[in-house]
Amino acid sequence: MRPFDYQQAQGTAAALALAAQHLAPPGEERILAPAQYLAGGTNLLDLMKIGVAHPPALINITALRQDHGRIETDASGLRLGALARMAEAAEHPAVLRDYPAIAQSLQLAASQQLRNMATLGGNVLQRTRCNYFRDPSWQACNKRVPGTGCAAMAGVNRRLAVLGVSEHCIAHYPGDFANVLAALGAEVEILSSDGTARRIAFEELHRLPGDAPHIDTNLRPGELIISFRVPAGPWTRRSLYLKIRDRESYDFAQASAVVALDLQDGVVREARVGLGGLVAKPWRSHEAEAALRGRKLDQASAQASADAAFQGAVTHGENAFKPELGRRTLVRALLQAAAMET
Amino acid sequence: MDVLLKVNGTEHRLAVDVRTTLLDALRERLELTGTKKGCDLGQCGACTVLLDGMRVLSCFTLAVAAQEAEITTIEGLAGENKPLHPMQKAFLEQDAYQCGYCTPGQILSAIACVQEGHANSADQIREYMSGNLCRCAAYPKIVAAVQQAKLLMEGP
Amino acid sequence: MPDGNQTIIGQPAIRIDGRAKVTGMARYASDEVVANPAHAFLVTSAIARGRIRGFRLDAARAVPGILDILMHGNVGGEAEKPKPMSGGDTTTTLESDRVWHDGQIIAVVLAESFEAAREAAHKVEVDYEAEPPSATFGSPGVEEEVRKAGEHKDYKVGDAEASFAVAEVKVDARYGTPTQHHNPIELFTTTCEWRGGKLTVYEPSQFVYGLRGSLAKQLRMDPGDIHVVSRFVGGAFGSRGGITARTAWIAVAARRLNRPVRLVATRDQGFTIVTYRAETRHHIQLGATRDGRLTALRHEGWEVTSRPSEYNVSGTETTARVYACPNILTKVNIVHADRNTPGFMRAPPETPYMFPLEVAMDELAVALNMDPVELRRINDTQTDPATGKPYSSRSLMPCFDQAAERFGWKGRNPAPGTMRDGDWQVGWGCATAAYPANIGPAAARVTLTLEGKARVQIAAHDIGTGAYTVIAITAADRLGLEIGKVVVELGGSELPAAGLAAGSSHTAGICNAVAKACEGVRQRLAQAAVTSNDGPLAGQDPAKLTLSAGALRAPGGAAEDLPKALARVTTGVLEVYAENIPKGLPPESIGKVYQGQMAMSRGHSREDATTYTFGAQFVEVRVHALTREVRVPRAVGAFAAGTIVNPLTAHSQYMGGMIWGISAALHEATEIDPHAARYVNDNIAEYLMPVNADVRSIEVIMVPEQDAQVNPLGIKGIGEIGIVGMNAAISNAVWHATGRRIRDLPIRIEDLL
Repeated sequence: MRPFDYQQAQGTAAALALAAQHLAPPGEERILAPAQYLAGGTNLLDLMKIGVAHPPALINITALRQDHGRIETDASGLRLGALARMAEAAEHPAVLRDYPAIAQSLQLAASQQLRNMATLGGNVLQRTRCNYFRDPSWQACNKRVPGTGCAAMAGVNRRLAVLGVSEHCIAHYPGDFANVLAALGAEVEILSSDGTARRIAFEELHRLPGDAPHIDTNLRPGELIISFRVPAGPWTRRSLYLKIRDRESYDFAQASAVVALDLQDGVVREARVGLGGLVAKPWRSHEAEAALRGRKLDQASAQASADAAFQGAVTHGENAFKPELGRRTLVRALLQAAAMET
Repeated sequence: MDVLLKVNGTEHRLAVDVRTTLLDALRERLELTGTKKGCDLGQCGACTVLLDGMRVLSCFTLAVAAQEAEITTIEGLAGENKPLHPMQKAFLEQDAYQCGYCTPGQILSAIACVQEGHANSADQIREYMSGNLCRCAAYPKIVAAVQQAKLLMEGP
Repeated sequence: MPDGNQTIIGQPAIRIDGRAKVTGMARYASDEVVANPAHAFLVTSAIARGRIRGFRLDAARAVPGILDILMHGNVGGEAEKPKPMSGGDTTTTLESDRVWHDGQIIAVVLAESFEAAREAAHKVEVDYEAEPPSATFGSPGVEEEVRKAGEHKDYKVGDAEASFAVAEVKVDARYGTPTQHHNPIELFTTTCEWRGGKLTVYEPSQFVYGLRGSLAKQLRMDPGDIHVVSRFVGGAFGSRGGITARTAWIAVAARRLNRPVRLVATRDQGFTIVTYRAETRHHIQLGATRDGRLTALRHEGWEVTSRPSEYNVSGTETTARVYACPNILTKVNIVHADRNTPGFMRAPPETPYMFPLEVAMDELAVALNMDPVELRRINDTQTDPATGKPYSSRSLMPCFDQAAERFGWKGRNPAPGTMRDGDWQVGWGCATAAYPANIGPAAARVTLTLEGKARVQIAAHDIGTGAYTVIAITAADRLGLEIGKVVVELGGSELPAAGLAAGSSHTAGICNAVAKACEGVRQRLAQAAVTSNDGPLAGQDPAKLTLSAGALRAPGGAAEDLPKALARVTTGVLEVYAENIPKGLPPESIGKVYQGQMAMSRGHSREDATTYTFGAQFVEVRVHALTREVRVPRAVGAFAAGTIVNPLTAHSQYMGGMIWGISAALHEATEIDPHAARYVNDNIAEYLMPVNADVRSIEVIMVPEQDAQVNPLGIKGIGEIGIVGMNAAISNAVWHATGRRIRDLPIRIEDLL
């Protein structure tokens, strides 16, 4: 870990202003990594300790909790402040009642200590757990150093992605909550360093690796996520997050599925489907949703949906089992959601 | 950087490298070595402390960022020759440890687990204590200790 | 030794060091306070084979607070490489420019702070001359050889090949177990401090005399000038048994800087700077009659080791003697790869070798259409089949019967795939546990004061096993004191010597030594009491006097309070030093321990008997019908291990061992990049060990057993038997749940899809 300037922002405007000081002048390519916002620190300090991230400045935004830490719901949906902690969102009564998939995805992630620290905004930005990325002594990692190759493709890749991968990178997105945001069609509210706000679909926040796997998201330098808006829908109460892992707790997903259903007499009026544990970025499967719409939810339609979800899967040896595990996880989640009392 | 840390009710002023974690500040600077380093990467829970009563990992907390909070470490639960906290007593009586290295983190995590209201069944305790690895695998006895202490902490 | 009415041994007692552990006052090695330490950070190799051409250090040297960088070029001659306790030669670190394995120590960065040392270490750039490495079995370039007889040997009884060829029922299969790392939660730390020419080393250790002796040789010092301190150890499991390379370099660093140096190695470095359990392969052939009697047992094993080392565990020394069989043939091969040298890890031979035997026995039971417990009963024996010697005690079937009863085994439908609970397939399995009853020589000093308190000093090691407490129990028992009146000092090389805390030998070794010293105390008191002119015990037979409940007592009821009895001997303190040499070892073996060498009487090394501990493991598994994750809702283990000194801590030991067995079956595997020969999941988020939620009902049955032959106190050792066989029991249960026979560990989702 290299030394850094440490600044404590007392409010949102101050945080943005501090970040602006570290931006490269207009027209100049980014030479230094910009200042990083420090919230829970559970991923950023991790990456700094292992020598993967070297921000020259940290701006502590914990005080922004006052402005952006609230969890609110109304008829239009749910608004989750980006500075809310995972633990509080996981136990928020409205989230538990109306958006169980969100509560479950948070509850099944990490440990209570980490959930007490990590904020929702930081959580969605956590970087891959691919060990070839996380250990700088591996030379070949296109995500860490563009153009160096990918050691994982012929290496230990049991936990890595099969959906959304490219010939340059098979790193997985390791989180849980973000898959639910993607599936439920959430929007993310972003402030830029000059104070202007923009809203984008959560599905557009993360990027596929393509030929630039070193860029995880479409955030611009200095931008700050301040909230997530999850639209209401008749499917959110009948929603769940199913996480399959080697260990019973405190483990990343080998495969996971988000399912939200609007059922009438057993027939799917509308569905939202997300996948995790084996995806290159938070994943909504429109194909899986389309395969369900208008059909009676049973073993056959669930299987058809799962087959559609994994049409484009690409495997690399050790992780060859993941499409099948992913399909089964989705089938199980769909049947479980269909059986939910709402 | 000069920092002011409030640990177990005592204020400590010290100059630290900005990179110093709360864990290293406690261990290396304040000689409060009850808080343990087991991975330094948020994977084991041995460094668990309470920040304003909330359990967090001191390895992922910068010392400079911990200045506002009341920090409680294992040394803050019972002084020398003072009565043990019910959770400490329960760990002792249940033999809820072997080597003892993860124990300070387990005990602080367990106290918070009860206070959060996450100790209402054995299953819930198991889930909410899963952030604290015990390589000696005293887990069933840790669950028993939390159940024993909960009764005393909450009264009949 | 008179036995009297002592009752403290065998009564559950809370740990005497428990308060220190629950209050954070227990000082583990890196908690010891030294004045103004410099901080060390290791630089380790990023290749597995080759040479170091040079270092580029400008960036590292520019880090504020940097003090020094140790490398082959500047300190290589200042220490010799350590000699492992097993397997002969090993790899080098700074002594040479050679790289033998991934993660080898190649430089040590020293700085004013941990933060500066880490930054500078990350900025050290290395120019390698890399060669293609060999990772493991099957990799190009590995060298395989038959393990020569020496530390371990093979068994040939009868004609196993011919008997197998004509056997009525056969099992013939291949098995594998993965690389595993100990991962104690306390990191691998070393703190060194020089005062004049004398060195103090604070390091978690399972053998402080071994550390001292080896370090003295490496640094060409008088062992008497080295003091090793290891009062509390945050888990060990074999990883802190032998000295590793880091210690000498931290000592050299402290000498160069002329100030204390502290190393707290990172978690990932702990995968490569100490030892590990190597991966193994096995070929088993079992032949049996139709009524289930074994007629042939062949077990051939393969083990990975480093290029220079011949380290191997040869668990065939146990698998050859578990069941009655007239024809036995064993063989072990070692496979040299570009890896660090393996070493002891909990039940080093039995964890990997009993797995194939006990799965094969289950397969044989299926082939015979026989209950697996009955198959064990038919092949049970009180005679060691490999040598013909009697077992000093063997309670295998009482263990099976008691565990089966508690588990409810008789309700099992033997057909696989027949039990179900909702979406979960349910299976039951069982296996035999066996581990040698080993013991080492040890010395102890017992001091009795006029206030009726005792101090026991012995360089024993409490690695979580409860050694502090079993020593206090033994002394209290033998001296007739309450446990609270006994103070125990251990974990330092200033104390009377005790051997390696490993091989389930420690409690037997140290408690017998303490008991012997206490017997010396009793004899001194008894002699003075019977020869006095005025006392209540005058004229009694000194051999018949016992110490109990605070008094020296004669059989008829005459007694004298301990302070008075002691006052007849001394007005100060009574101090007795004693050495215990276990049966089967020469008198000079205690001298070897003082010199830091390993000395151990093993379960199969005695002339008069084979001394082994046995147990039975039963387990229920659940496999999700669709997504195939495996969970273990309950396990029952029964073990008979002679005298149990402290049932409270013994229960914890057995339970922890069983959970390690579950973990070995389902979770633990260090993954190696096949091309780079480097460990990939070198962290404890992905080197999976069970968390609390993975562990549900674990029942331990301590089957009573008395063994007067094994050693005077009848202690057989319990630290390792709990893990043995559990991996096989789980594989057998998975077969029962699913019909899938998994012969390679760990058992994972993808094996069952």
